[in-house]
Parts: sequence; structure tokens; C-alpha cells
Amino acid sequence: MSARSMLGWTSRCVRQLLALFRPAARRNNRNNLDEELQFHLDQSIQSYIAAGASPEAARRQSLLDFGGIEQAREETYRQRPGWLLETLLQDVRYALRGFRRNPVFTITVITTLAIGIGATTAVFSVVDPILFRSLPYAHADRLVSVGLTAPILPGEFMLGGSYYVWRDNQKPFEALTSETGVSECDLTEHNPARLSCASVEASFLPTLGIAPMMGRNFLPEEDRPNGPRAALISYGLWQAHYGSDPTILNRLIVIDGTPRRVVGVLPKSFEMPTLEQADIVVPQALDEAAERKESPDTVMYAFARLKPGISAAQASAALDPVFQYSLSLAPAPFRKEVHLRVRSLRDRQMHDVRLTAWVLLGAVLAVLLIACGNVASLMLARSSARERELAVRSALGASRARLVRQTVTEALLLSLAGALAGWAVAEALLHLFVAIAPAGIPFFEKAVLDLRIALFAGLQAALCGMAFGLLNAFQEPRTLAARNADSGTRTSRVWTRRSLVVAQIAISMVLLPASALLLRSFWNLQQQDLGLRTRSVLTIGVALGEQRYNTPQKRMQFFLQAQSALRRLPGVTSVAVSDSLPPAGAHRESILNVISIAGESRVTEGTGGMVAWRSVTPEYFQVLNIPILRKRDFNVDGQASNQQASSENRIILSKLLADRLFGQKDPIGQRIRPSPNDPYYNIVGVAANVRNSGLTGNDEPEYYRLRRNIAEDWNSSSTLILETSAAPEAIAPWARSQLANIDPTAPVELVTLRERVNRLADRPRFEAVLLGFFACTGLAMAVIGIYGITAYLAQRRTQEVGVRIALGATRSDILRLIAWEGVRLILIGGALGLCGALAAARVLASLLFSIGPRDPLTFLCVGSLLAIVALIATLIPARAATRVDPMVALRCE
Amino acid sequence: MPSATDSNALLQGTLDLLILKTLALEPMHGWGVAQRIQQISRDVLQIGQGSLYPALHRLEYRGWIQAEWAPSENNRRAKFYSLTAAGRKQLDAEVANWDRMADAIALVLGRKGEVSA
Repeated sequence: MSARSMLGWTSRCVRQLLALFRPAARRNNRNNLDEELQFHLDQSIQSYIAAGASPEAARRQSLLDFGGIEQAREETYRQRPGWLLETLLQDVRYALRGFRRNPVFTITVITTLAIGIGATTAVFSVVDPILFRSLPYAHADRLVSVGLTAPILPGEFMLGGSYYVWRDNQKPFEALTSETGVSECDLTEHNPARLSCASVEASFLPTLGIAPMMGRNFLPEEDRPNGPRAALISYGLWQAHYGSDPTILNRLIVIDGTPRRVVGVLPKSFEMPTLEQADIVVPQALDEAAERKESPDTVMYAFARLKPGISAAQASAALDPVFQYSLSLAPAPFRKEVHLRVRSLRDRQMHDVRLTAWVLLGAVLAVLLIACGNVASLMLARSSARERELAVRSALGASRARLVRQTVTEALLLSLAGALAGWAVAEALLHLFVAIAPAGIPFFEKAVLDLRIALFAGLQAALCGMAFGLLNAFQEPRTLAARNADSGTRTSRVWTRRSLVVAQIAISMVLLPASALLLRSFWNLQQQDLGLRTRSVLTIGVALGEQRYNTPQKRMQFFLQAQSALRRLPGVTSVAVSDSLPPAGAHRESILNVISIAGESRVTEGTGGMVAWRSVTPEYFQVLNIPILRKRDFNVDGQASNQQASSENRIILSKLLADRLFGQKDPIGQRIRPSPNDPYYNIVGVAANVRNSGLTGNDEPEYYRLRRNIAEDWNSSSTLILETSAAPEAIAPWARSQLANIDPTAPVELVTLRERVNRLADRPRFEAVLLGFFACTGLAMAVIGIYGITAYLAQRRTQEVGVRIALGATRSDILRLIAWEGVRLILIGGALGLCGALAAARVLASLLFSIGPRDPLTFLCVGSLLAIVALIATLIPARAATRVDPMVALRCE
Repeated sequence: MPSATDSNALLQGTLDLLILKTLALEPMHGWGVAQRIQQISRDVLQIGQGSLYPALHRLEYRGWIQAEWAPSENNRRAKFYSLTAAGRKQLDAEVANWDRMADAIALVLGRKGEVSA
């Protein structure tokens, strides 16, 4: 566009706008135009008279010449600048008037849209980083996590002995690198801070494709034992701790008492592939030669960049030779349980939340579909109700384009309002999600509303509203007479609405059982017998600092002091100490088949699986109310202090472990050695089984080593467990002050056991609540849909009903007639939905606890619920139809 | 009634050109413009009033012509249109455009010689 025409265009726009604000001028214009046209007509008449025609004939001829005066006037009027804008405003005003006249319709549409758009936006904002986020690495699609899997660790890992052989002999990767995990570290400068430090190989950053924002990566010599000490710091640390100091490079910082030179600052987007927080990255500086010899030693995590065109599966196959080598290093009994795993980084990061994310996304999309169905159905209903109005407007000269524009304006206004309300709903939902979300879902706290998806959802809703609204406007507006003649041509629209209702019922039928299954699974979780008491138990986690408590004596001293101080508190009945607590899976583990029984040689195959173990004081069993099934000279209340004083190694087995090791024999009095480096322990009791792998996992066999008053039995972090006669929350402040008396610097965490157990159920609760919410929303909308269609159909048949009643049909005949329409839709939709639900339930299987994905009872209940609610929605309008007075019905047409 | 479909663009553009050219001679009211075009074209071009007034108003809104109420020859109030400076420029542009178009059409019809002669 040239500058000049641009200028012309702008000034025209300005004139258009100005013209809008001059109604007086507009009126004036109109009068002037009338006068001008009249003048033209008069001149024409005069010229005919002058040519010799009679005044009558002259007038007639002039009018004929002129053509439609009104049309000319309209056409002239349309030339006005601002005409388009003016009609738009007219349409908007007209639409708003229409909405005000019909508030139920308006509110229903806007609410439906708001819920659909809001829920979709909120859920998508949450799952987007889990499912679709692009990882902050160069060509992240070619990055994989590589390693061995074994029952000892949840994720894949490498051992020093294998890693270097793999690195030197692998074929499928461009590069293979490793890290040895993230651990806590202290910045011991003038401004100390507790941070997390990641140890990585020198090739770590280049392999992931990360370049430091400032400075350089580690040099090979810095990644050797006794090499120069180097460190990379995170962007966050650089900003917060060093005030974005541009001269940070080459400065010495002191980490855990060791000075290190800052060689670079990591980019802002940096994150560890394991998503662990890392403020400082240091070279792992492993002694390669030593690692190769002594296997297995250091646990490492390996990441690799695939060569272009090679898939993770191909890489896995290509790694087989080196994998076989690693297997040959493993002790023979373990070999069967060690596997090779190569998977994408995203899979490694999100492995257990992915399914939840997909299920949520599926549920919310289903809700959006139902919402769209409702909006479409409502628009259809509205447009058929307005048929008469449209016919009148068309008869008065409104063009088709004008009617279409009107419809579009209305749909856009509605979706705009729906989108705004939806934004508010999304904002509220997101807050709710974050509030009830379980810990451990990556990126959850940082979730923000996603504008793109809100736009998408709004657009989709607008489109489906518009499309169905337009069906009407595009049809040739029929004359009033034709409209009254028959309603046969409207069958196609009725058919559309029926299919919409069937689809809505079907989608609800998929959503409802899914949420009911999750709800029942959650219920089962809550109701299960954990094998221990959760009421009236307060737990106090204590992690003693390594510097202050550098000897086992000091640690034991602290815990014994704490134990006796807490025991004196009013309301505390008994106090135990353990290093971990069930039912969470965070406990120490060893392998079943390394346990040996004195005087017996067990023939074993494989590892036998994992065994949980804890180091507890004898009171543990009383505090948690774990029954001791058999025992020997051992009191659960721990009163006999000479027992603790004795240096005998005593052990208690869980029932499960006792059965595994001894079968029918009595284990009491037997001696076992838990692992080859341990001494033999006397078995002094058998305890009942306790859930010990989270709420859903399979129970592991378990043993308890009883702590003695010997320093070596006491580690730095343990949990004090208090049995209280008062509410544990009330005891908490007293307990805290008691501990502060002993050591005010020791960090303690006070939680009731019930709270601990509840946290374990956070994820299933979250899933059940959310899916339940979506299912209810979907059901409500579907019910509104079926109510609408039945009411509409009933109303359309008023005349027919009148005739039938006049001819002698009873009320119940009519009720059956009308209700059957709705019931048919419910049956078809329900059947379709049931098939979908049975297929979808398979996906849920791994989220469910002690309930099958096709639990017949659930399906039956949910199906009946849907049927009953939908039936009520059908019967209300159907009953209304039976009250038709035949005389009124016959006269009304 | 003029059809608003096929050659709308051409017709509209042509009508604008004719009106501008007519008004270039002297200020005139709508009736006068119609009569003048009819006379000069020896009754070939009959301007439908249904398109004349929209065109006049359009040209006025674009600022190419201006209107003024004045007594007519038989002493009635009539709206007289006259060309503005911008209108004169527009007329020149449209005439040039027309010539180019006419030449082009003549070329296509194979009558180049006749036109330029």
C-alpha cells in the first residue's frame, strides 16, 4: 500500500468513526435525500407534461422510470462512511436485546461455554509441561536415558564397572555421558547457604547440547581425581546469591570446605535431565581406572545422544553386546532380574504421571465436547424458535447476508462472554488444582494459564455455536404462509439435535464409570487395613547435622535424651525410634536370598525379591500397635532396660518373611544373618504384616533390627514416634519445645502419622476428585441436553397430542409416546457409551487399586444413575405435554 | 433494476467517470446530470436513478464532489453538485485509465488502427 492510499484509508476510517457520533447530521441527511429525490421526480413529471402528457400519465411514467424509491434511498444511505460499523453496532444492540429477553438461554450458553473453556484451559495448562513441553536441550528428541534396571532402584542406572566399557564400545550413540546424582552441599563462605550440588562428567553439558551462558564447560583435567577444582553455578544462584556479578568468573567459592573456581554460569533454562534441583554443578572426578576394576561401585545415571535416524529400540538392540558384558559382571543369581533400558528423556522424567495427565486431558476434552454439543443444541433450538422472526425480517427486506451477519454477531458475542467467564473459571480451577495436587508432579506449582489453549477452546466453542446457528440463516427464509403449512422440512434439524443428544449421553457414559472406578479405588485405598495404628500417633523426623554430631555416641546421646524427655510429656504414652516409617516405601532394603540361616544351607535361585528392613527400638511395635504373633524374652513396651543394655543382636521378622524363610517351622530361637557382612541375629519375635510399599504396592517381607544402647546402632536421621492419649496435634508444640531444649539447631519435622498416610493418597485423591468433577459436569450438561430436546419435541407435537386426546388417547398413552423419544436416545447413547467406557477402562487399569477396570457393580450403578437422571429429564417435559388441553391445542394453529 | 452482479465494477467505475466529467463543465443537480449524460450520449446512456444517487453520494463522501443547496432554474431548492480539486485530479486519472482500457480492448478486438486514426 502506498503512503498516500494509506493516508486516504486512515482518513476514511476517521471519518467513519466521526460519522457515528453525529446522529443529528444523519437525520438531516435523510431529510435532504428525500427532498433531493422528490426534486428529481418532480423534474421528471414536468418534463413529461412539457412533452404533452396528462399530469396523471406523467406522474405514472416518472414513477416507473425511477424504479424503487425505497431501494434507491437504502442504496444511497449505504454509501455513507460508517455504514458497516453502524450496522455492526445495530446487530450487537439487537443481539443484546435478544439475550436480555431470553436470560435462561443466555445464561445457560455462557455457563456451558465457561465451564468447557475454563476446564480445558486449566487442565491443559497443567498437563502441557508434562506431555508436550519442549525440553531445554538441543535436539532433545534424540536424547535418551540409558541403563540397567534391577529391583534395587526404581529408575535405570549404571555402575562404574560397566559404564566405561559401554562408553568405549557402544555404536548407536553420538555421545554417552553420565552424572552421579544430586546431593546437598553447603556454601561455606561469609554468606553461607544450603544448596544442592550435581556431580557430572565433563562431557555432560556438550552431550545434552547446553552451552554455559558465561564462561566455559569443564576441562577434561578438571574431571580427574585431584584435578583443578572447578564449578559451574546456576543462573538462579548467580542472580540471587551473587547479585548477577559480571566478574564472577574465576572467583573461588568454598563448597563443603573445599575452594572451587567458578568457570561458568549455566543458562537460565538449565535443568538436570532427572529434574532434580541443582544450584551448583561440579565435575564428578571419578577415578576411571579404579572404577573399571572395582565393580560394582559407584551408581551413575547415563544419558546419550542417539545418532540421527536411530530409534531408542534400535539403540537398545545395538547395545546388546555391552549389556551381555555387564550381565557377566553381575552375581549369577541376579542376572535374570537385570534388564537393559533405553528410553526418551521425557519418558524418564514423567513415567508415572504421564497416564494421569492423559486421563485428565481425555476427560476434559470429553467435557469440552459435551459443552460444544450443548451450545450447538441450544443455538439450534433458539434458531428454530426464531424462525418466525427471521421470516418477518426477511419479508421486510433484510438480505440473507444481513441475517447471517446477525447470527454470527450473536454467536461471537456469546462466545466472547463465555471465554471471559471461562478464563475466570480456569483461574479458579488452577488454584484448586495446585491446592489439592499431590507433591511430586513436575512443574505443577509453576503452571500458568495457557493463552493459546484458551483461544483454541474459545474458538472451537464459537465455531460450533456459529455453525449450528447458521444452519438456519442460510436456509431460504420461508414465507409466513409456508411456515404454517408444515414442519416436515425441519426433520433434518431435529435429527441433528437428536444425534447431538446421543453423543452427549455416550460421552457421559464413558466419563461416569471412569470416575466412579477411580472413586471406588480411592475408597478401597482409604479403607484398607494398613496393619498399624494411624490415630493418635505423632512422628518427629530429625536429621542431625554431620558437623555437630560427628560421632555415633553423640547421635545416640541425642536420641536417648529426646526419647526420655518426650516420654515425660503429659499425654504421651510411649515413644519409639525408627529410621523409617511404613506404609511409605522409603525404607532400607536388601535382597531376600542373601539372608542365611545358621546351621542350614539354603538352596536359592534368583534374588528372591527385595526385603524391607528398619532399625527400631522395641517400643516401635506398641506405638504403632503392630501385633507380635510369637515372641521370646522380649517386651514390646521396652520397659526392661536390661534388654536394651544387653549387646545381643536381636531381630524380629514379619510374618511374611518368617513364612518365606522357615515355612511351617517355628522361627523363634533361630539365628539368621541378614547379609554376608552382618553378624548373626537371634530371632526374638514374629510381627504381623504391615503395608510397606506405599498404599498400592505389593507388600515386601520385612525384618526389624532392634536397636541396642550401643552407639553403632544409631544413625544421624531417625524418626521419633509418639503414641499420644491426647490429640497428636495438641502435643506437637510441646514436643517441639522439648527437642529445642536439647538442641535448638536440630531441624525437626512434626507430622501426625495420619497426615503422612493421607499424603500417600494424594495422587489417587487428586485423580478421583478431578475426574469426578468432570464427570458430574458432563452429566449435568448431557441432562440439560436431553431435557431440551424432549421439551422441544413435545412442544412441536402439541397439535398432534391435542388430536390424540380428542380422539380418546389417555394421559399415559401420551406420556409413553413423548417419553419414548427421549428413552430411545438414552438407550442408544448409553449403549454406545458403554462400549466406549469398556474400551477406555483398560487405560485406567494401572491407576486402580483392588478393583477391576470392568467392575460389573460400578458399571451397573453408574448406568442406572445415568438412566434415572436422564429419564427424569425426559419425563418432566413429557408430563407437561400430557396436560395439553385439546381445544387449546387445536385452536392454536 | 440494475443487476448488482456481473459487470458491477465496470459499470460503477464508468458511472463515476461520467458523473465527474459532466460536473466538470458546471455545477449541476442530480436530474441535470442524468439529463445531460442522456443528451450527450444521444439517448444511449440512460442513468437509472437507483444508481445515480448512490453514486453521487459516494463521490461526495470521497470528497471528489461537493454539494450545495441553491435555487434551481424554476426557483425550487435543489442540491447542486460541483467538482472539487481532488475530484478534478480523480477525473484526469480516470480518463487516463479509461483511455488505457479502451485501447486495450480495441487491441483485443483487433481494431487498433481505427481507434488511433
